[in-house]
Amino acid sequence: MSDHTHTEDPERLAEFEARVAAGEQVETGEWMPGEYRQEALRLIQMHANSEIMGAMPEREWIPRAPTLSRKMALTAKVQDEVGHAQLLYRVAETLGRSRVQMIADLIEGRSKFHNVFHYPAETWADVAVIQVFVDGAAMQTQGALRSSSYAPYARVMKRICYEEDFHIRLGLDVYRTLADGTPRQRAMLQDAITRWWVPLLHFFGMPDRVSPHTEKMLRWRLKVKSNEELRQQFLRKFVPIIQEAGFTVPDPALRWDEASQRYAYAEPDWEELKRVGRNQGPKSAERLALRQDYHRRHRWVREAVERWGLLAA
Amino acid sequence: MGPARRLSALEQDVWAVFRQATKHDPHVYVGDVHASDPEMALLLAKEQYARRDPCVNLWVVRYSQIFATDYGDADMFRPATDRSFRFGGSHRDQQRVYREAGRRRDDEE
Amino acid sequence: MGAALREWLLRAADDELIIGHRHSEWTGFGPDIESDVALSSIAQEEIGHARLFYEMVCRVDGAGDPDRLAFGRPPGEFRHAVLVERPNADWGTSLLRLFLYEHFDRARLEVAAQSTYRPLADLAGALRREEKYHLLFGEAWVRRLGAATEESGERMRAALAAVWPDAMDLVEGTEADALLAQSGALPQTPEALRRAWTEGVAVVLAESRLPVPEVAPAAEGLRGRRGQHTVDLDALLGEMTSVRRLDPQARW
Repeated sequence: MSDHTHTEDPERLAEFEARVAAGEQVETGEWMPGEYRQEALRLIQMHANSEIMGAMPEREWIPRAPTLSRKMALTAKVQDEVGHAQLLYRVAETLGRSRVQMIADLIEGRSKFHNVFHYPAETWADVAVIQVFVDGAAMQTQGALRSSSYAPYARVMKRICYEEDFHIRLGLDVYRTLADGTPRQRAMLQDAITRWWVPLLHFFGMPDRVSPHTEKMLRWRLKVKSNEELRQQFLRKFVPIIQEAGFTVPDPALRWDEASQRYAYAEPDWEELKRVGRNQGPKSAERLALRQDYHRRHRWVREAVERWGLLAA
Repeated sequence: MGPARRLSALEQDVWAVFRQATKHDPHVYVGDVHASDPEMALLLAKEQYARRDPCVNLWVVRYSQIFATDYGDADMFRPATDRSFRFGGSHRDQQRVYREAGRRRDDEE
Repeated sequence: MGAALREWLLRAADDELIIGHRHSEWTGFGPDIESDVALSSIAQEEIGHARLFYEMVCRVDGAGDPDRLAFGRPPGEFRHAVLVERPNADWGTSLLRLFLYEHFDRARLEVAAQSTYRPLADLAGALRREEKYHLLFGEAWVRRLGAATEESGERMRAALAAVWPDAMDLVEGTEADALLAQSGALPQTPEALRRAWTEGVAVVLAESRLPVPEVAPAAEGLRGRRGQHTVDLDALLGEMTSVRRLDPQARW
């Protein structure tokens, strides 16, 4: 996908970089370096994929949500994720790939989605953990991306962050209810926290090597903060939520370092993240197969809609 | 100004959505939907763009029918000379006289 | 009177909950992203309406809470039509069911809006606003799928033949209806409701090249209004209440 190199007019490139460095944003239809377009597309497409795949673990719990208000709120939450996919695929389209193509890329395993959505949601407590911690992690990266240099992306990120903020609040309500609940409910929540800890650390990616590529992404503001910076931002906010409710982080090495104002943590197994990235996570194959299955089952509907559009035009 | 640029001639099924929050507000562009036809585009736009925000009316416009200026021409919107005469901003004393005239009469009533 | 009204309210509440539950199962798997979002809103609204009707049941009872009514009753106490408990088959069948149900619901709410029981009349008036969109969405899909391609037309005719007998259960009445009609609480008989509904759907179906099948009475044993349901409801409730049953005394 990104193996062909782009040779750009150095003068144009310098002018582009100067504009981005000055905080200017890039709009659809404006000139941009080929590599910028390609990297922006790759990032936004993966983000869109993650929203639509991110609907899958939680949607399994919609039919089982234990009260009417939880049922409505969870349905609305998953709906928001699907809606985010709609917004993000549209932004990705402005960079030159059609949504039809991107859906095909996803279900045929040619494009990626975020590591956390390759894991199972085993109990109702997973819903709480996903809504508080997975969404909380996403909020760190998405919040930073509101100042992305690609203007259409930055714009939709504002709406997405606004909605994610509801999700975290709703999630905290589920979380607190379980935390204040029976021993069984607390055990369920501790179990979910334990299972999700490593995927949450993985969420932000490996600590950045100082590679020319990373440097360029940061310079172009397609990446706004480093992986470790975002991970620390997350830990500062969310470790207390675990500990103050009397739950344990499954990492005996975890400690707050006053001097550096950072959390020290045991290095997770990065090989696992790489495997998950190759769609070899515990739920990768099953979820992609399910998407493929629905895609096949909806073929006649898509054809009918397309035909209707031609008749109506 | 350069020639009007058609935003997209290819995306037959993409519609730009404009939402009017109240009858006092103009329709504002809020995003796009994919849909086969205008009726479906309006139905789908309602839930994607007005399920939380207030709305009294929606427009959808086929992308291929939108024409735009070029960002390369953005500088022509930026004034090169003093345009304050268009705003009345240089007549601050008069503005104060005008505002206070109204207030005095309101007080008398 | 109280018992008859309670029965009517439970029918409405259970219809809305169960069809909302079925619609919500599509969230994340619609045929296109926008329609996924739209049907999900409809699902949420139906469940919200169910809660309002359950609250009214609690008011009639003078006790109870909506969650207990939704999650704490055995299948035999549910009063929804069998149509809404059937599992989702394909998108076309679900949208056809939505369309048939929404037409019925519109007719039902029109009557309820004239109820002499003031809280019900007020509620019905408010719900009609949201149901209007549900009906438009259902009709739009039925018209398209019915007439777009040969395959979609065939599939929709097959879907109609499959759901039609169950749909008849929507307009089945019980002894309660006569009482409610006499008292003015719900000034319409099941026969009039059935007529209003059949006429409403027939027009759209005809325009969508979906001829109405021979009217057959609901198959024996399909009497949702009397609490007679299928194994589909057992499975649905089994799943729906599974988390809550882990500890029915706990707060969730």
